[in-house]
Amino acid sequence: MSTITRDTVPAISVTNLSHAFKGHQALSQVTFCVMPQTLHGFVGPNGAGKTTTLKAICTLLKPNWGEVQVFGHSVRNDSVAVRRRIGFMPDHFSMYRQMTVFEYLDFFAAAYGLPVRQRDTVIHDVLTLTDMEGRRDDLISGLSRGMQQRVSLARVLVHDPDLLLLDEPASGLDPRARIELMEILRELRRMGKTVFISSHILSELAELCDSVTIIDRGQIKFSGPMDILLESPDERPLYNLKLATISETAMQRIKELPGVETVSEPEFATGRDYNIQLAPATSANEFLRQLLTLDLSITSFSQQRRHLNQAFMDLTTRGVRT
Amino acid sequence: MISGVTTLFNWTLKMDSKSVYPHIVRAGFAGAMLFAISMSFTDVFGTGSMGLRFFELVCTLNVLIITVSGISYFVTAVTEEKDAGTYALLRLAGMNSLSITLGKSTSRLVSSLMLLVIQMPFTFLSITLGGVLWNQIVAAYLALAAWMILVANLALFCSVRCATSGRAAGLAATTIGFFVFLPRISSAFLGAIPPGVLSTGTIAFLGSIPAVCSKISVFDRLAEILGLTSGFTILGIDFSTGLTTISTASIKGEVLIVAGQFWSSLLTALVLFVISTVTLDFWSAPADTAGPSENKSVRRWSVGRCWNLSVAWKEFLFFTGGRTFAIAKFLAGGLVFAGFRMFQEMDGYSNGLALRGDYSWWAFLTFMMTLTAEVLLYSSGCLFDEVRQQTQSTLATVPISSVRILVEKFAGCAIALIPAIVWIFITLILSDGTIVRNCSATMVSSYLIMLGFASHLAALLSLYTRWAALPLTILLATPAFFCMAAPILGLTAVTSVFARSHNIEVTLLLSSIINVFWTWMFVLLPLQIWIRDRWIALSQQ
Repeated sequence: MSTITRDTVPAISVTNLSHAFKGHQALSQVTFCVMPQTLHGFVGPNGAGKTTTLKAICTLLKPNWGEVQVFGHSVRNDSVAVRRRIGFMPDHFSMYRQMTVFEYLDFFAAAYGLPVRQRDTVIHDVLTLTDMEGRRDDLISGLSRGMQQRVSLARVLVHDPDLLLLDEPASGLDPRARIELMEILRELRRMGKTVFISSHILSELAELCDSVTIIDRGQIKFSGPMDILLESPDERPLYNLKLATISETAMQRIKELPGVETVSEPEFATGRDYNIQLAPATSANEFLRQLLTLDLSITSFSQQRRHLNQAFMDLTTRGVRT
Repeated sequence: MISGVTTLFNWTLKMDSKSVYPHIVRAGFAGAMLFAISMSFTDVFGTGSMGLRFFELVCTLNVLIITVSGISYFVTAVTEEKDAGTYALLRLAGMNSLSITLGKSTSRLVSSLMLLVIQMPFTFLSITLGGVLWNQIVAAYLALAAWMILVANLALFCSVRCATSGRAAGLAATTIGFFVFLPRISSAFLGAIPPGVLSTGTIAFLGSIPAVCSKISVFDRLAEILGLTSGFTILGIDFSTGLTTISTASIKGEVLIVAGQFWSSLLTALVLFVISTVTLDFWSAPADTAGPSENKSVRRWSVGRCWNLSVAWKEFLFFTGGRTFAIAKFLAGGLVFAGFRMFQEMDGYSNGLALRGDYSWWAFLTFMMTLTAEVLLYSSGCLFDEVRQQTQSTLATVPISSVRILVEKFAGCAIALIPAIVWIFITLILSDGTIVRNCSATMVSSYLIMLGFASHLAALLSLYTRWAALPLTILLATPAFFCMAAPILGLTAVTSVFARSHNIEVTLLLSSIINVFWTWMFVLLPLQIWIRDRWIALSQQ
């Protein structure tokens, strides 16, 4: 009999999840998995089924078909255990505006069954983490949007959940608040939390996430590590070379190196950037060794990666779902 | 301007036809007619003027529906634009204040007036049934139409004056309630104050209030048209100002088709419309102006730590007003009691702390009405508050079952009822026995059944409608009372027969328990299940 340790049990395991609203198929055979202590992005166009999936994971929605498990607990049969291990932040401001920040957090801490003494410590910790300690006695109605989002995040953390489910946490935030929020999410990952984040801001997700799931029209288009998604779709990788100074002979000299198939300048050429395609049998190390013999002033040499935007556009369908 | 008005008028008519609520109002009117016919049918062997009874019932239900519509349907004319944040877009589209008030209010008024018009042929049936003439029917419908126009324009004014639909509904309800009860209050006040306390001018002013109200009172006018010497009553409560002029001619059905009430209502409505149009710009700030703020917004007092029953704590502290408000209510109850005690003293009865006769009865009724109002307000608001703040989904992810959340909400609101309940018991204890003599067991059990039913209905409706839960509850609970009484009494009778056949003595306590059980099982339990399911469905949205 095999022993299952905590790390081998996925934080989220979604298998063949399907759900329909009034004849409209919102999700169709959705299957993906999120490993513990990772930051997982969940992206898709409007109406793709992101929020429905999130609601199924956080026990708000009983799906028509399929199985959802959170740390091995079935969402359908063991919802109370799931709720204790998750913290869900919806895509809208869901707050009691007449409460102060402290009262709001105290209420949720009590709802999760924390004793009074423990609540004090926890509230202090989450307010410190979200940098809201100075506003603990402020009424929520008087807080700015960014601060309300921080309080929402603090609320999600009061019962120390292992998994955070965040639906569009950065929507409507100004750039500064957005950057600060991303910093907090990185910190949470360092603390060992699993973060499942649904967002439209692809550039930030690309920097932030370890893995990603792309959903379109209720179907999973990709799910896996971010590195794999961002690799060039071509079989042979393309390399970018950047030089410190403009050299008129550089392109010709690189072309003459053994194993080089093509050398071209990018669309907006500066005279210092080159795209290099190597022959199938040539390794990057070998090519780099020969390149150094040319005595060019090299600033950077890297494998060209797709941007998440490009991957997203390649995988999803144009137009609005009908 | 004309194109703006017609565009808005057409658009509002289209939106109303797509919306569920206007159809509910129409169904309400149709139900009222059906109810009146069925009630008259039950009276067929008991009265000589069945037509009059039928028509009186139709008028009563119409007044009730028009008043409730004023608080719920007409009142959202402008606030729905403010709530949705589209008011500024209307102004950007080049619409002036007149176009907006005219376009938004008249479509609802016209569709509602049409409902009165289509009723008329059916009510001519009452002529055949006997006891009423055609001119009485026409005069009554004109009085009702004038009342509708007045209420619609009052609602429009509230809609213009307030930033949200909720506040507008509250203001409209308060104003209509104030108008209906003002003559009684001023007369009672004048009667209770000993001579020499108030100046002659004040007495003249207070004395003129019933006369002014009588000129536009639909209740007085309907009593006059129908020749009702007992006044115009709804559920046994006389809403007339007491100055109704019932002549021999009006008893015979010879009434003026258009009287002063019609013109004074139209004039008041016109004044309200003009004020609404003129002040529209001034009062039309966006509904939610409390945006981001760098200034600290703090509360100066603490509400203390959250209890283990966290939802009950939240409801008590943040929905019903908490300890401070509960203490204030208790003190206010004391003032009311002391007020009745003072009037009794002025009347020359000194009986220690105790109240006697009518004073104890009216003090008891005051506290009962307060309790009823509180129960209805809390039940119509406690679930809706979560919907309004979009917090159901957050609350649904805490490890507490939906049923427990609902029960805790009930508990939180129940705590807030303690001051009113305490004063009811104090009045009972310090009464000379009048209250016990006046209250029959049937009256008490009927009240409790209706309170339970109405509170459940209000909670349920608040999960479907935005602000109309309370007025709709009042509207639905009134006929429901008649519908529920018979089955409950029937079930009790069946139980009694069954008990007697098994030699079980049916005591007052046992019959009360049986009544409560039947009510819960067949009325409240289905509503409770419905509320729970609707609550869960809303949490998923």
